[in-house]
Amino acid sequence: MSIEVTLATQAFDPAKLLGTLTRELAGEGAVVSFTGHARDRAKDGALVDALVLESYRGVTLASMKEIAADAMARFDVTRCRVVHRAGRIAPGEAIVFVATVSAHRRAAFEAADYLMDRLKTEAVFWKREEGPLGRRWIEPRESDHEDARRWHL
Amino acid sequence: MTTVDRPQTELELELCGKLADVAGAFVTIAVPDDGCSIAELFALVGQRHPTLAGLTGNGRVRACVNEAVVAPEARVMPGDEVALFPPVSGG
Repeated sequence: MSIEVTLATQAFDPAKLLGTLTRELAGEGAVVSFTGHARDRAKDGALVDALVLESYRGVTLASMKEIAADAMARFDVTRCRVVHRAGRIAPGEAIVFVATVSAHRRAAFEAADYLMDRLKTEAVFWKREEGPLGRRWIEPRESDHEDARRWHL
Repeated sequence: MTTVDRPQTELELELCGKLADVAGAFVTIAVPDDGCSIAELFALVGQRHPTLAGLTGNGRVRACVNEAVVAPEARVMPGDEVALFPPVSGG
């Protein structure tokens, strides 16, 4: 059973993280991963030069660790790996990576889904898009909150 | 006694996310020497910085005191490390 949570200030390689997890399997049969990448356009189609994620001291990492610990407690998974970028992120770069390991697939799928729903709405980040037209703060949409409520939080 | 009748000390607040766009990364507020509730602090912020009043008064901004997000009833004391958090969004 292990939880590993990282707040990354530089670009990271999701494929490498996934490779490490699969190499370190201890007999489990399922690995699920999700990677979120910065888009080159806003929801309304405006060009985006960069996504900027602000964090706050130890609170941001603590919020990520709490979410990962809850996922471990709730689902029958043996490992949770969470990496989240902070700072300036270019389009195409990874923002977030979650991976879960379990004996059978269902728990790993559900734990990864749960991790992402809670990271979207509860992890302590403030996110803005910067583009030719200026900067715009992005807050969770109602659909993000609806997704999180599926877990009866 | 209201907050303005009591001896006061300046407290620096860090503004996070979009709040910093409105009033800068830090604002200084005079708080009573014997502390005040977070709800009172938000009212003081709104009085001192009217541009923040609409944001701190809508119930969506939360206070973080000494690296812990706290309830509106919690107390803040001079010397505490205080930040104001607008709605968060990861992922």
